[in-house]
Amino acid sequence: MAILIDTDTRVLVQGITGRVGSFQTKIMQDYGTKIAAGVTPGRGGMEVHGIPVYDFVEEALREHEVDATISFVPASFAKDAALEVIDSGIRFLVVTAEGIPDQDVLTIINYTVSKGAKVLGPDTPGLISPGKCKLGVHPHRMFTEGRVGVVSKSGALSYEVCRVLTKNGIGQSTVVGIGGGPLWGLSQQAVLKMFQEDAETEMIVLLGEVGGTTEQEAAAFIRGYMDKPVISLIAGCTAPKGAQMGHAGAIIEGEEGTAESKIRALREAGSLIAKSPSEIPTIIEKSRG
Amino acid sequence: MRLLEFQAKKLFSEYGIPIPRGVLVRSKDDIGNLRFPVILKAQVPVGGRGKANAIRIAKQAEEAVAIAEELLNSNVKGWPVQALLAEEQVEIKQELFLALLIDKLANLPLIMVSTTGGIDIEEVAKKSPEKVIKKHLQPRVGLQDYIVRYLGKSIGLGDYLDGFRSIVNQVYAIFYDCDATLVEINPLAVSSNGLVALDAKILLDGKAAYRHDDLFAKLQEEQKQLVKSGKSVAEQLAEERDITYVPLDGNVGMISDGAGTGMLTLDLIQDTGGQAANFCELGGLAGPESMQRVLEVVLANPRVKVVLISLIGGLTRMDEMADGILHYLKQHGKSVPLMVRMCGTQEDVGKAKLRTVGIETFEDLETVVRTAVKLARES
Repeated sequence: MAILIDTDTRVLVQGITGRVGSFQTKIMQDYGTKIAAGVTPGRGGMEVHGIPVYDFVEEALREHEVDATISFVPASFAKDAALEVIDSGIRFLVVTAEGIPDQDVLTIINYTVSKGAKVLGPDTPGLISPGKCKLGVHPHRMFTEGRVGVVSKSGALSYEVCRVLTKNGIGQSTVVGIGGGPLWGLSQQAVLKMFQEDAETEMIVLLGEVGGTTEQEAAAFIRGYMDKPVISLIAGCTAPKGAQMGHAGAIIEGEEGTAESKIRALREAGSLIAKSPSEIPTIIEKSRG
Repeated sequence: MRLLEFQAKKLFSEYGIPIPRGVLVRSKDDIGNLRFPVILKAQVPVGGRGKANAIRIAKQAEEAVAIAEELLNSNVKGWPVQALLAEEQVEIKQELFLALLIDKLANLPLIMVSTTGGIDIEEVAKKSPEKVIKKHLQPRVGLQDYIVRYLGKSIGLGDYLDGFRSIVNQVYAIFYDCDATLVEINPLAVSSNGLVALDAKILLDGKAAYRHDDLFAKLQEEQKQLVKSGKSVAEQLAEERDITYVPLDGNVGMISDGAGTGMLTLDLIQDTGGQAANFCELGGLAGPESMQRVLEVVLANPRVKVVLISLIGGLTRMDEMADGILHYLKQHGKSVPLMVRMCGTQEDVGKAKLRTVGIETFEDLETVVRTAVKLARES
């Protein structure tokens, strides 16, 4: 398999009856993702695109085997939905909602950790292993199966880069968006570690942005543990200091969080640096030798 | 949302955290019956006021009036001063530092104390980090007394431990009750009357506004009355509409459907020799009306010569983005060229819709950036 998901992953969708949940479920299903069940409180007994809907995760688990969930539940109910999944014993959940209060996110993340589960997001497009499984909202025509792993803070930036990779005949093993908010579960270095250990991934593209220090942490990990090539692109080189660039986390405070400092740390850790998506295929070809 | 000092102190006082006796001053005659000397502090949403000479001491009434008049006509780091907080001076034996915030790397609340509070705390934290004592809290366990006692002992509080315990517990209560992401007291003064919060900094998590009745809205309304920022029409419109908009100096208006791609687009504009007029992104679940409203904001800036719309949607649907552009054109007509890069969910439908009004879309981001920059330069 690639990382986290594969052709056999059985999925439960939370918020499946909503406008977005229903629309994206259909796309995932058409892509080949095995959607086992859906949950929306109060809508138990319905069907969405032939998928049975339950009131509770536990009820769904009585009838179906589930490996992972994706939640399209709005921010104000997202904590409740996530905790319900963690309690049910499911070990991997994707939380797409943007704008969940920070303290709810802390509760979700810490509860997940205490139960030995993993949460991707919030504020994430999810992940896709092209040709195998899509647990997310990616415009999948831009993706193709291959051996380059991609981990990105921003969702759309990963689409942008994968579109260029695909056009240049470079496929992806798994593409993971860790989330654009100020807080997130699975970290860049956790995903890098999985890629390092994944036999189907030969090199990694790391996509970061201004704000915070997560890329510095990733750089330390690259220096210490990675022997696969890592190509990095950091967006926001021209972002002004002190302005919040969309993502709640993308704000340069003082010297911390500038694109420059991130690029420096990554370069010193041995990562190759790309300045634009179109440079990445060339760098990949070069490091393939 | 960053509270003004007097707003944060009002919360402190509601939670029983000792603050100096004070009054909000809107005009030089508001100082009232405070006991002199009085400290006058500009109420602007920015740090480093002490070093910017926006915190002054007045020994008697006449001096206070003069200083108030001067400060109320001044500008602190770009913010015109609209109000002052006048407070009775506290005799300070020692300045401590206390903060509770979210540690984003550990995903845990972090409590920090130091005996070296005051205006140089950031320097202290950088140069001698051992002088700042830190403890993570477990969200489900909360603040336990051994942590308070440990922190108290590490900063040698001795007789003041009871007051400290009460303050730390109240800071913790504010943090959780109000969905704060930061509660900071710097300095927390040791005075002959015990501990007093001389300054107050609170950041509230705007994402949690919905579960606090009108608390956030009231604080925001109050700020609107007291903070004038000299914002442009486009910025004001964006703020009213809750749109992510950062003004820049150039002439290429920029709209993206993701923050990461938006920043990348800005970088590419600059690399191509152009200058963006703004950063503006639609956020996750944008529909047609968001696109129309965002276009109105970006085009409220008269310097914009061309608008570059960079779309690569997953959650965002291209058919809906096209609808938004069409609605905008129908209402406002076309004042500047719109260069649209459109890829992603429902892109075929979206492109067909735009073709009906003669807009040909681009596939490649770098190509659309080059074209837009060239057009802006020529116009």
